[in-house]
Amino acid sequence: MTLSIGLSTALSGLSVSSEQTSVVSRNVARAGDPSATRKIVNLTSVPGAGVRIASITRAANEALFDKLLNATSSATERTAIADAVSELDQTVLDPELDASPAALLSKLGNALQQYSAAPQDSVRARAAIAAARDLTRGLNTASEVVQGVRSQADADMAQSVERVNSLLDQFGRINAEIIKGSQTSKDITDQLDQRDQLLAGLAEELGIRTVLRADNDMAIFTDSGITLFDRSARAVTFTRTGSFGPTTTGNAVMVDGVPITGTNGVMLSRSGRLPGLASIRDQIAVTYQDQLDEIARGLVEVFAESDQSQPATLPDLPGLFTYPGAAGVPASGSILTGLAGTIMVNPNADPAAGGDPARLRDGAISGNPAYLYNTSGAAGYPDRLLDLSDKLAGKLAFDPAAAVDAEATLAQFAASSVAWLEQTRQTSSNEADYHKTLLERSQAALSKVTGVNLDEEMTTLLELERSYQASTRLISAIDDMLKTLLATAA
Amino acid sequence: MKTSFISSSAISDANRLSLAKLQAKLVEAQKEVATGRLADVGASLGYRAGQSVSLRQDHARLAGIIDANATVSIRLEGTQAALQQLVGNAQDFVSQLLAARNAVTGPHVAQQQAQTGLQAFLDTINTANNGQYLFSGINADEEPVADYYAPGAGNRQAVANAFQAAFGMAQSDPGVAAISAADMHSFLDGAFAGLFDGTAWRSDWSSAADQDMLSRISTSEVIETSSNANEQAIRKLASAYTMVADLGAEGLGQQTFQTVVDKAVTLASEAIASLSLIGSDLGTAQERVKNANDRMSMEIDIMTKHIGGLESVDPYEASTRLSQLMTQVETAYAMTARVQKLSLLNYL
Repeated sequence: MTLSIGLSTALSGLSVSSEQTSVVSRNVARAGDPSATRKIVNLTSVPGAGVRIASITRAANEALFDKLLNATSSATERTAIADAVSELDQTVLDPELDASPAALLSKLGNALQQYSAAPQDSVRARAAIAAARDLTRGLNTASEVVQGVRSQADADMAQSVERVNSLLDQFGRINAEIIKGSQTSKDITDQLDQRDQLLAGLAEELGIRTVLRADNDMAIFTDSGITLFDRSARAVTFTRTGSFGPTTTGNAVMVDGVPITGTNGVMLSRSGRLPGLASIRDQIAVTYQDQLDEIARGLVEVFAESDQSQPATLPDLPGLFTYPGAAGVPASGSILTGLAGTIMVNPNADPAAGGDPARLRDGAISGNPAYLYNTSGAAGYPDRLLDLSDKLAGKLAFDPAAAVDAEATLAQFAASSVAWLEQTRQTSSNEADYHKTLLERSQAALSKVTGVNLDEEMTTLLELERSYQASTRLISAIDDMLKTLLATAA
Repeated sequence: MKTSFISSSAISDANRLSLAKLQAKLVEAQKEVATGRLADVGASLGYRAGQSVSLRQDHARLAGIIDANATVSIRLEGTQAALQQLVGNAQDFVSQLLAARNAVTGPHVAQQQAQTGLQAFLDTINTANNGQYLFSGINADEEPVADYYAPGAGNRQAVANAFQAAFGMAQSDPGVAAISAADMHSFLDGAFAGLFDGTAWRSDWSSAADQDMLSRISTSEVIETSSNANEQAIRKLASAYTMVADLGAEGLGQQTFQTVVDKAVTLASEAIASLSLIGSDLGTAQERVKNANDRMSMEIDIMTKHIGGLESVDPYEASTRLSQLMTQVETAYAMTARVQKLSLLNYL
């Protein structure tokens, strides 16, 4: 009976070889897929019956994969911040272009200086008003850009949440398949790959931790410890805000009813695109808006007019720079949210709106004759213009909440705001670069361990070919032997 | 157990990623070589970008003041020239008067010359520069002194009225020959002088403001940069011209005429002295403007240097970096091609 045992053993070799070949071709087919892992055929010898395939497993490295997830979350968070800050930078651009509010402010200062050198010159008056209009327009546009960035971040958060929910949903289905497959000892390697891919996608949006349990069941938590998936997916909810103004506060993202973004939660998510977007929407852009608002408020304050009657009884009024619904000069040293978006040149002094630019020299821009500085009506009256230049170069109090100088000249404050923005940009883009590099390293490290090497697969294929040939040779040899035996018997 | 392993995608990814990074750097280096400035000033400087903006602000402010000072300088030079002309004319007038004092045809010639002199005085004092009257003070858009010879001129009427009131006749009346030197003397010191004191001058003659133009000529200096027709020197000069031109000098008796001439010479000489003082004040202002400009130009040079120091790149360093990067990119290309060939498949 040993000959037939030899025959069946050779046969098992054949079937194992062809199965191994199919695994090799699976590996080769997915060699270009960075998320693919190498499949490994585990053989076991059956006493008296040759070999059989015990299981198909995959090359995996949990520690490296966890590192990859962390690196992904950090990289997407920093990239989201760096991208948004670059958007904000379009309010400054290259200092050479003189496009920042700071540069427009110094142009206004120059126009005033030119005007004060020849106060009777109506062309210079118009030029000064035009410079003022450019400055208000610059502030209005900057404010729009900031709110645009916030609104975009809000929209991106909504999309991100949608993606998280859809990933969790898919995760649930794959996870169930894996549990079932593990219980029935099926080949689940492809599903495991798929599940890892979903996890990597999830990590882009939100920092996560995973816990592996019996039957390859997996639970997911946010990096702050809230359950995202445990047997079933938890709802991640977020209500998008329709339109963003400076006073709008965006909604928080909730997981299972617990906020993971915002400032007053105990389980705030620490990495991933969602917290990155939230920090843009709720902190960085808001601070920059505060700075723009303070520049605008400073302008209103500097150009305010005071009552010229003796004794003065009326309160100061906004002069050249005003805003809709102005009921006086805003309080010094405290932010008037949204002012940068609404500040404008007083129509009474704006020739484009039918006003008289010479009011800049004479006063009473508000329309009340009590605020007239140039009572003699002299065309060369320089005092008010010189006074304005002095005030423009004088120190003002600013709200410390704007995160730059608390006391500075308006020009210094505007320059500090540029410094703040560029510093934020430099830091965020350096961090983004660093974390991207870290992510590339983690990807490479994981791929080196779990990826497919074509050369190796080819070598394996050669081996398999040989072993297949050997098995067939064995079969034909045994066949010959049996033939000889049968011939002898006959 | 494999001791070392690398996946195929790790091999090709390594090349791809390093190429992408090199190319990004290459673009930056190209821009820096072409412009001589940092490719992304804001991101490279970080918080120091604020310094750069601040320097540019100061730079622009000083450049703006220097620009505006050109206007001031032109005004000062114009005023200076006009003053010199006034002084020159006044000196000529004084010598003409002295020549005419004892001559037979003196009164006639003196009156003619005084009339011409008054006209020239009015022309000079009403000089405009860039739409701005030089002697109007801050009332820069109004002619400072009313034209004496315009029809219905108030100042001329006032003189005629005063003359009528004092002597009971017009200046052209032949009876003026009978006016005594003493009467004329008291008229000149009394009613006539009153026409040129502050109040009457401002109502009959002058539209100028007493306040001179003020200008900021540097970040810290604000100075007076014009003169005005209400200065006593100008009034004295106007009265000297007028008394000879329009008090019927032709018809006056010899002694009376000499009284008028003496008074006019005294007033004109005083005016000349005061005008020179005004001129030297303006000269000081010119000097201050020039000094301020020089100082600010120097500051601007320093700022330009600082801005350059912040934003510029060393062109040699940048171009060396560029060529190095190009070599690296080429090497990376060559390597990609070779690694691609490096496959067992090619040898089976």
